[in-house]
Amino acid sequence: MVIDFTTAAILAIACWALGSLLDLFGRKSAALKLPAFLLSIGGTFIMAAYIAIYWSYLGRPPLRTLGETRLWYATLIPLAGFLVEYRWKIAWLKYYCMGLAGFFLVINLLHPEVFDKTLMPALQSPWFIPHVVVYLVGYVLLAASSVAALHNVSLQLRHKKNDAGETAAHYLALLGFVLLTFGLIFGALWAKEAWGHYWTWDPKETWAFLSWLAYLGYLHAFRYKIDRSKLQWYLALSFIVLLVCWFGVNYLPSAQNSVHTYTQS
Amino acid sequence: MVVVRRRWFQSPWEFREAFLVTAIAVIAGFIIEYLGAGRGVPSLHQPVNAIALAIFGVAVLGVGLAFRNNAVVQWLGGIPLGLALIFAIAVLSFIGGVLPQGEAAPDSLSALLRINQIFSSWPFALTVLFFLANLGFGLSWKLLPFKMQNLQFILFHAGFWLALACGVFGSSDLQRFVVPIEEGKANNLGYSMNSDVPTKLPFSIYLENFSLEEYPPQLLLYDPQNDKLLVERSQAIIQVRKGVTASWKGVNVNVLDYLSYGLRGADGVPQPADQTAGIPFAKVQVTSNGTSFDTWISTGSPMLKPDAADLGGILLIMVPGSPKAFNSAVSIQGENGEQKTATLGVNQPLSFNGWKLYQMGYDEKMGRWSQLSLIEVIRDPWLPAVYLGLFMIMAGNILFFWNGIKRSEVS
Ligand code: HEM
Repeated sequence: MVIDFTTAAILAIACWALGSLLDLFGRKSAALKLPAFLLSIGGTFIMAAYIAIYWSYLGRPPLRTLGETRLWYATLIPLAGFLVEYRWKIAWLKYYCMGLAGFFLVINLLHPEVFDKTLMPALQSPWFIPHVVVYLVGYVLLAASSVAALHNVSLQLRHKKNDAGETAAHYLALLGFVLLTFGLIFGALWAKEAWGHYWTWDPKETWAFLSWLAYLGYLHAFRYKIDRSKLQWYLALSFIVLLVCWFGVNYLPSAQNSVHTYTQS
Repeated sequence: MVVVRRRWFQSPWEFREAFLVTAIAVIAGFIIEYLGAGRGVPSLHQPVNAIALAIFGVAVLGVGLAFRNNAVVQWLGGIPLGLALIFAIAVLSFIGGVLPQGEAAPDSLSALLRINQIFSSWPFALTVLFFLANLGFGLSWKLLPFKMQNLQFILFHAGFWLALACGVFGSSDLQRFVVPIEEGKANNLGYSMNSDVPTKLPFSIYLENFSLEEYPPQLLLYDPQNDKLLVERSQAIIQVRKGVTASWKGVNVNVLDYLSYGLRGADGVPQPADQTAGIPFAKVQVTSNGTSFDTWISTGSPMLKPDAADLGGILLIMVPGSPKAFNSAVSIQGENGEQKTATLGVNQPLSFNGWKLYQMGYDEKMGRWSQLSLIEVIRDPWLPAVYLGLFMIMAGNILFFWNGIKRSEVS
C-alpha cells in the first residue's frame, strides 16, 4: 500500500489537533480561520484517502470489523461537525468531533489485530454497504444531537436559554431517525436474503429496534407539544441506547446466540 | 399562574391514564402466562389468523371513525397512549435484548412468566395488540377524509401497522425446514427445529455438486506441548501469498513460493495439482537466532497430514483460510413435474413455487471436501404484506426527510 495505517492516522490526528488549536487561538483574528479550517478538513481528507486506498487493497469495502467501522467514524464524524458549524453556527461541536475521531484512530493504533481481510459469505451482499453506511451516518448525526442536547442541558442548569442549540439538537435527531429507519429496514431486507427471515429478535436486532423506539418516542413527545427544553435530557441520554447497540451487545447475556455481533478477530 | 392539577380519570385523559392502562395490560399478560405455566400465545394458522386480523382491523377503523368525537376514543388513538405503549414495548424488548432467549428450566420463574421467550408471550402480544388499536384509531382520523398533507403520516403509520400486524399475525404460517442432501442424491424431507420427524416437502432437491472457495491460508505459531496457538494481541493476521513476510519475537518468515493447489510429486517436492485433490503449499524461509533454512509447509486436508516447520519445539503452521463462498448446484423437481436448475449460494436464494431456498451450511469437518450440503427452505405467505408496509415506511421516510429539511429552512 502507498500509505500504511500508522502514518495516515498520525497525520490525520496531527492535522485535527493543529487545526483545532489554530481555530481556538485564532478566534479573534479572521486571518487564521481559513488555515485552521483547511488543516482540520485536511485530516479528514487523509482518512478518506486512506479508506479509498485500503478499500482497493482489500478488494472489498473495509466495513467488516469494528476496527474498520471506526475508520469510517473517524472520517465522517468531523465532517458532521463542520456541517453543523456551517449550517447552525455552532463552533464547539467540531472540536469534540475531531477529538472523538482521534480517539477512534488511537484505539485502532493500539489494536492492529482488528484489521482482517476476510469477509464471510453472509456479508457479501449488495445490501451490506447501504445498510452500514446509512447506520454510520445516522449514528454520527445522533451522536452530534446528543452532544448538542447535553450542551443545552448544561446551559439550562446555568439558566441560559439556547434556542438555536435546541433547534440543532432537534433537527439532528430528526435526520438521524430517518437514517436509523432506513438502516433498520435495509437490515431486515438483507436478513431475508442472507438468513431466510427478516426479523428474528436477535439481540443485535432487538437493540437496533430499541434505539429506534427511543427516537420514535422523542419525535412523538415533541409533536405532542411537550416543551422542547424538557426533552433535552431525553435526547442526551437516548444515545446511550445506541452505544449499547453498537458495542455493548457482545457483552450482554443474550448475545450467546447472536449471528450479528461483529467479529472481534 | 395557577396550576390546576387534574384528578385521575378526570377528562381529558392523558399520560397518567395511559401509563396506568398500559401497565395493567402488561401485568395481565404476565398473569395469564403464570396461570398457563408459560405456554405462550397459541398460534393461529391460515385462514383463522387472516380472518381475525381483518375483523380487528375493520373494527378499529369503524370504531375510530364512528366515535371520532368521543373523548375516550380520542384518548385511545392519541399520542399519550402511544408513548406509553412505545415505552412498554421498549421495556419488554429490553428484557428480551438483555436476557438470553430460548430454553429455560421448565419450572423456573423465567419460564413460568415466559421471560425466556418474551416475544411470543402474552404481555408482548397484548401490548402489540393494544399498540395496533392505538395506531389504528389515530390512522382512521387521518385516512378519511383523505388530504394530501396527511400522506406522510399515512405512509408511516399505515406502513408500520401493516408490517407489524402481518408480521405478528402471520408468524405462525412461516414454515422453515433444513434439507440435508448428499452429492449425487435427491431429498424431499425437511427437518424443523422443534421436531425430529421430517416433513415431506412438495418438491425434491437433487444436489449435483457442492463447492467451496476459501480465502488464502494463514501463518501461525503453534506450541504443541501446551496445545496453544501463540497469537500476540498486536499481531495482525497474515494471509499467505508469495512474497509475504512475517515476524514474531526473534523469528522472521519469508514466503518464497506459494501454490494454492499442490501435491507432493514423486521426489517429495510439491507440484501444482488440480483443485479437487490439491491443498495449499508454501515454501517458507525461516530465520531465527542468526540461522536460516527453507522448507515447504502445507495446511493438510481431511485426507492428508499437514506439514509444519519446526522452530525448535515450536511449530510454524499454515491453517486453511476461512470460507469465502460456498455453492450448491441443484435441480429441483416439483410435485407436478415443474423443474428448475440453479446454483444456490449464501445471499443468493432461489424461489420455487412460493418457497425460497437458501444455501445454509455443509459438513464443516470436511470443509472444501464436503459431500453434504444443508439447504434451508422457507415459505412465508405473509411476506408481500410485510414488505408493502416496509416500503410504505421508506416512502414516508423520504417525504419526512424532505419536509424536515424544508422546515428547517423556515425556522
Ligand atoms: C403508537 C402509536 C402511534 C400514534 C398514536 C402516533 C401518532 C402520531 C401523531 C398524532 C403524529 C402527528 C401527526 C401530525 O401532526 O400530522 C405523529 C407523527 C409522526 N409519527 Fe406517529 N404515531 C404512532 C406510531 C408511530 C410509528 C410506529 C411510527 C414509525 C413508523 C411513527 C412515525 C411518525 C413520524 C415520523 C411522525 C412525524 C413526526 C414529526 O413531524 O416530527 N409513528 N404520530
